Amino acid sequence: MNHLLRKTLLGSAATITLAAGTSAQADDTITFGLLQDFTAVYTFVTDEYHQGQQDYLELINQRGGIEGKTFDTFVRDTGNEPDRGIEAYSRARGEGAVLVDFLSTPVSRAIVDRALDDETVMITPLHGRGDASHGETFPYVFPMMATYWAQATALIDYIDEHRGGLEGKTIAHVYIDTPFGREPIPVLEELAEREGFQLETFAYPTPGTEQSATWSNVRRARPDHVLIWGAGGGQPVSVREAIRNGIAPEDILSVVWLAETDANTVGRDRFEGVRRFEAVAAGTDYPIIEAIQEEVIEPGHGSGSEENVGTSYYNIGVATMAVAVEAARNAIEEHGVVTGETLRDGFYGIEDYDAEGLMPPVTFSPDDHQGGGMGRVSKWDGDSWEPLTDWFSAHEDVVWEAIERDAADFRD
Amino acid sequence: MFYRLTGVYQTDYAKDRALWPIPTDRWIALLLLAIAIAAPFIFQVHYVANYMLPWLIWSSAALALTLLMGVAGQLHFGFAAVMAIGAYSSIHLARFGVPFELALLGAGLISAVIGSIFGAAALRVKGLYLVMATLAMQYLVDWVIVNVPAISGGAQATLRTPDVSFLFIPLESVWLYYMALLWTVVVTLFVLNIKRSSYGRALVAVRDKDYAASIIGVSPFRYKLSAFFTSSFIGGISGAILAFCYYQAVTPEQFGFHVSIQLVAMVLVGGLGSVVGAYLGAGFVLLLPMILTNFVAGLGAMGILNVSASLLAHIPLMAYGALIIVFLLAEPLGLAKIYDNTRKYFLVWPFRHGQS
Repeated sequence: MNHLLRKTLLGSAATITLAAGTSAQADDTITFGLLQDFTAVYTFVTDEYHQGQQDYLELINQRGGIEGKTFDTFVRDTGNEPDRGIEAYSRARGEGAVLVDFLSTPVSRAIVDRALDDETVMITPLHGRGDASHGETFPYVFPMMATYWAQATALIDYIDEHRGGLEGKTIAHVYIDTPFGREPIPVLEELAEREGFQLETFAYPTPGTEQSATWSNVRRARPDHVLIWGAGGGQPVSVREAIRNGIAPEDILSVVWLAETDANTVGRDRFEGVRRFEAVAAGTDYPIIEAIQEEVIEPGHGSGSEENVGTSYYNIGVATMAVAVEAARNAIEEHGVVTGETLRDGFYGIEDYDAEGLMPPVTFSPDDHQGGGMGRVSKWDGDSWEPLTDWFSAHEDVVWEAIERDAADFRD
Repeated sequence: MFYRLTGVYQTDYAKDRALWPIPTDRWIALLLLAIAIAAPFIFQVHYVANYMLPWLIWSSAALALTLLMGVAGQLHFGFAAVMAIGAYSSIHLARFGVPFELALLGAGLISAVIGSIFGAAALRVKGLYLVMATLAMQYLVDWVIVNVPAISGGAQATLRTPDVSFLFIPLESVWLYYMALLWTVVVTLFVLNIKRSSYGRALVAVRDKDYAASIIGVSPFRYKLSAFFTSSFIGGISGAILAFCYYQAVTPEQFGFHVSIQLVAMVLVGGLGSVVGAYLGAGFVLLLPMILTNFVAGLGAMGILNVSASLLAHIPLMAYGALIIVFLLAEPLGLAKIYDNTRKYFLVWPFRHGQS
């Protein structure tokens, strides 16, 4: 649909000085637009995530870039507001950005159509539309990591495999009352029917700082395991309330948004045993993170506080750029230039890339923009996140059913 | 000299009651309109599509709210919910195959009816208590949208706007801008005219003292409700225009509580009850953060401000907050009053008796 204003007018020549003036991308740099929410809702993740992205790109630049090209970033704060996101997106395109990352669900949803029209790659790791994994419908949108559906199925499979099966158990899904919180419910219902466990769902109101009423209901349902599905400030509250209501930490399983800071908030010892899904490994014992420390942080090229290096969200940021750089490398090798279109093809050239063990092996194809949707379950051992499983994915048929269903809605 | 009054005689009542009795005012209004119409051909696309277009739409929403809060004196802290109702209704109506023109009207009516139901609280309560009642509307509407998948658009909670045409013109590319412009001009003329009509004077009477108004024969019941109805009608259509002409996909977060607060801020910073103020306020609240963000980021790129991305993102926020305080301290009656003072200064220039 939508041919945007800029399109027609770009065609009608004469008027446009902007495009001619600034969008001509310098030949030796590749620009990524990191237009994120530094000031409003996603602040719990943005700083570390963005720092990881910058440090990784700096590492590549320090090593001379790829094929002689270096990376540049165009950074703007959107405050989680679609209006500011749209403006920043347009400006980033004017600056020649071939890839944008908003790390904000409302903004990225407002951009989907624009990005598709403009043939600009938009990565939506761990946010945005899960159904964008359907590459045919969303040729320029890359969720690139496990969707929330894949996370839910992986956690259920973990219970099945490692926590004594599912048959006859009660699993509580305790979530923040937003579309994000309820997103996995259809998938969980499907699994409950298939695997023979009982699913109870409990919503708590936004922003999640007060959940005590919800948790006394959870207690009454006597769940064997609890999934907590929130983000930011609500997560430590969920863990604290769960423990207060007699749920053992090892029976608490969280969506990907649970990190070191949450453990500090609840108390590092009390937090011990809590499980979470992780899409990217945490910690510094990985070659890429070690390289960043040696070549970027120590010479003083780091983009933020050194303490953040190796935290969960920092590593997620590193992983997003590692994949993007890989895609750009493929684009250059195949086409010689990096545009939205060649970058997209570059993604398709990525096969079993795992960033030297930092993340599960991902493979992209014109059908699958999720990259396989693998992750693993880790637990807090009182000091750090200790992986309990290898990288895996589960019940992919259920996940893809959900992806296909919503993608079909989008096409309508 | 700038506002030549010499030779301007109002010889009949119609001329005296004209919207802009002074020729200069009229010329300024026409000039602005001409610039707005020619904008896609004289300004860079980036600025038309990302600054002027949203500015126009938010101005129409701010006009609706200033009619309610400024002219009729009824506080409303849930106006984003009114816009949400308009946006969602119009999209659903258009998807059912209702022509866009009627879908807009329908969206306006649905918003107006629901808005008046909550506005009915104004018949019993005033001031802060009315704020609470309208806040309840915000949260109820949010809750309903999030919890009824048929409204929100399924698991992804995103509804895309279908392709539509307005008066046989397909709504795309530059026509998105002209659609928004048309609507904003209509609303502007409407609010300007309300302010000089007996209806507007009745609203003002109710605002200033509702029982005094009822003593002189103005029914607060009727006028309060009709103020909510009219304002919600305009707000609903503005929400629909926002969805169709700008966002092109709606999600519940786009109409959250913080948006209501921003709308109130537009009206207050601009100047309660002022048409010019609605434009200036919307510009201030919507555009200033963008301009400041780009300005500060530009300083960062030039190496003048060498700080972390996070701090760089917060500096515009501080500047923005400081500017709100500065403007409100300098002129508590809002940006419209600053405009008014300037205009009055030039009205008698070179003399100095423009104070009022």
